[in-house]
Amino acid sequence: MARLALKAEARRFYLSYFWWVLEPLLYVMVFWLVFDKLLGTPTPDFLMFLAVGKLTFTWFSKTVSTAAGSLVNNVGLIGRMDMPKTLFPMAAILECSYKQIAVFILLGLFVILDGRPISVQWGWLLPLAVVQLLLIITCGFMAALLVCLSQDFAPLINLGMIFLMFMSGVFWDPNELANIQSMDLLMLVNPVAFLLNGYRQVLLWQVQPDLHHLMGLGLVLSLTIALLAVFMQRYSRHIARRILSK
Amino acid sequence: MRVLELKNISMHFAVARDHENGRHRVFDGLNLVVSHGEKVGLIGRNGSGKSTLLRIMAGIYPPDVGSVWRHPEMSIALLSLGLGFKNDLTGRENVFLAAMLQGLSRRSARNTLNKIGEFTELGDYYDEPVKSYSSGMRARLGFATGLLLDTDILLLDEILAVGDHAFRQKASEALREKVLTDRTVIMVHHDDVAIRDTCTRAIWLNGRGVERDGDVDGVLSAYAENR
Repeated sequence: MARLALKAEARRFYLSYFWWVLEPLLYVMVFWLVFDKLLGTPTPDFLMFLAVGKLTFTWFSKTVSTAAGSLVNNVGLIGRMDMPKTLFPMAAILECSYKQIAVFILLGLFVILDGRPISVQWGWLLPLAVVQLLLIITCGFMAALLVCLSQDFAPLINLGMIFLMFMSGVFWDPNELANIQSMDLLMLVNPVAFLLNGYRQVLLWQVQPDLHHLMGLGLVLSLTIALLAVFMQRYSRHIARRILSK
Repeated sequence: MRVLELKNISMHFAVARDHENGRHRVFDGLNLVVSHGEKVGLIGRNGSGKSTLLRIMAGIYPPDVGSVWRHPEMSIALLSLGLGFKNDLTGRENVFLAAMLQGLSRRSARNTLNKIGEFTELGDYYDEPVKSYSSGMRARLGFATGLLLDTDILLLDEILAVGDHAFRQKASEALREKVLTDRTVIMVHHDDVAIRDTCTRAIWLNGRGVERDGDVDGVLSAYAENR
């Protein structure tokens, strides 16, 4: 389903698959113009700092927003067949994640072209991406269920993504927070901020991310996904009735 | 041999509060048994629960009260028009997706693609996005997709109601061929002729449950007198 959706999307645009990397790049350029050229941010090497933060954050925000509407937007299929309801948010997540592979390759090229070495620390990119995917699945399932409960959640989720962008250090460095406890608290309560910082540690500063934190986060997210999947399996037909009764 | 059994089914839908106290009841203790190979026509006024009953039978959603039993070895498919297509995908891709979701292997799904394409007579449009289709073309695609994927119990929701005359005739013939086989068919249709041509049993739903259940002529005559 995800691959067919990607093909269909590529057919819609003249620039086809090129949009996969063009769109996130344009986002980075806009933020760079505003925060660096217009406002004069004090963060050193801001373009690369922003590129790592924005290109990984967009994967999260865009995918969760797409997954949020995945159940209600498939009312036709849901009304025709009894099928696992996790299928729809998962298809949306896979669709966005296939595109992210191209974005990660582009990001790696940027880092190399910027004169940074490929270090052994790059090996940590895979566990970071896996934990981010787990976070996206968790939030994507929850968002899809909430929108199924009431469509009013859809704009709230989009608003939440903007709030998260401001709270996750996409264009500011959490390491520069005056109070170290504030930094620790932010990393603890906001897994997106922790992951973005992790990507920067690996790609820009050649530092190993906090593995205990990463593993703990991965474990909690895996358990949450399992619980959500069981819930969606158990209440599959109730979810269908909710969607079809609207 | 029983293939479907519905026991004591009750169901309501939430509606606007100033209407029916906010609860529209469609069934109140409905009981129904369908045997293997039966061709059943469901009739009744709009809102009498025909499509809801098909969805309960297909296991898409549960009733509020009561139990639904389906023969565990029989596959079941609900065909309804205009639903289930993804507009950005081509006709061919939609058929492939439907076949995969129906549980066919990738290979079997590919094998059915051309057969369904030929039946639809869509020509080059088969490889165009469904959003460019007319309602008649969508109808052809929907009908062909549903009919040519092999299932034991077919639930048909108004699928012969649209499309041009020639295709409707072709669809009716194809359906009759299926009907001659040992498939179980339960269909909703507003046209008495289609029910008479296809079914061996008719059930009249009255908005609470079954008003009358029996041979097609008897039920259709009673329903016509009541209209």
